[in-house]
Amino acid sequence: MRKDNTAGAATNRRRAASGDPLGPNSEIGRKLKQYYDELVSDAVPDRFAQLLSQLEQAQPARKKD
Amino acid sequence: MAAVSQSFKTDLLASIPSLRAFAVSLTQNADKADDLVQETLVKAWDKHESFEPGTNLKAWLFTILRNEFYSQMRKRGREVQDSDGIMTARLAVHPAQHGQLDLKDFRSALEQLPEDQREAIILIGASGFSYEEAAEICGCAVGTIKSRVSRARTRLQEILKISGDDEFGPDAISAQVTGSNAA
Repeated sequence: MRKDNTAGAATNRRRAASGDPLGPNSEIGRKLKQYYDELVSDAVPDRFAQLLSQLEQAQPARKKD
Repeated sequence: MAAVSQSFKTDLLASIPSLRAFAVSLTQNADKADDLVQETLVKAWDKHESFEPGTNLKAWLFTILRNEFYSQMRKRGREVQDSDGIMTARLAVHPAQHGQLDLKDFRSALEQLPEDQREAIILIGASGFSYEEAAEICGCAVGTIKSRVSRARTRLQEILKISGDDEFGPDAISAQVTGSNAA
């Protein structure tokens, strides 16, 4: 994840500097991020943590395909 | 099968918000998106051994999710396209006042894009992937991603009736000009 962020930040800097069409000066670019950030910040339902716990418990019985 | 490491599980958990955002972007439907994320987590768990530690887990997971999405679409005979929401998407989007583009209008404009263009512009413009990473996730050439992003952007500008130029925000003059066109 740390790697991602660094790469993302570098990409953003490049875009800001070069007037990238999806950079912070573009309305489409700003809206895209707003749209996506809203989705990312949505609360994660419990079912996913439960699912991973179930997978973990089932793990000894699981076989590789 | 080698045990799934605790760090792999922790990283999977941490990836869920991004996976859900990408899934909603693809399916345009919250319930289908969560089912897709669930399938992705199960698949990722099953084939965790094929993940190379140190490489980009998020890109690996996005690839699984995307493959799952398209294989489900094929199975359902593109029923996804006809699901609820499509009518709202077809409604005309009015030019926004004062240059402020409403997020709801943006969402419905995004829905009108073909899947390949939508996923490309999301991966590049929102998820923070490079063109190279996006090409790998989508299993296509970098040039293909570039042209999809460019077409997506042009199409969004058409639907939303906004200027194709990079602007630093609307000024009084451009507001007047667009105002006279908005009937």
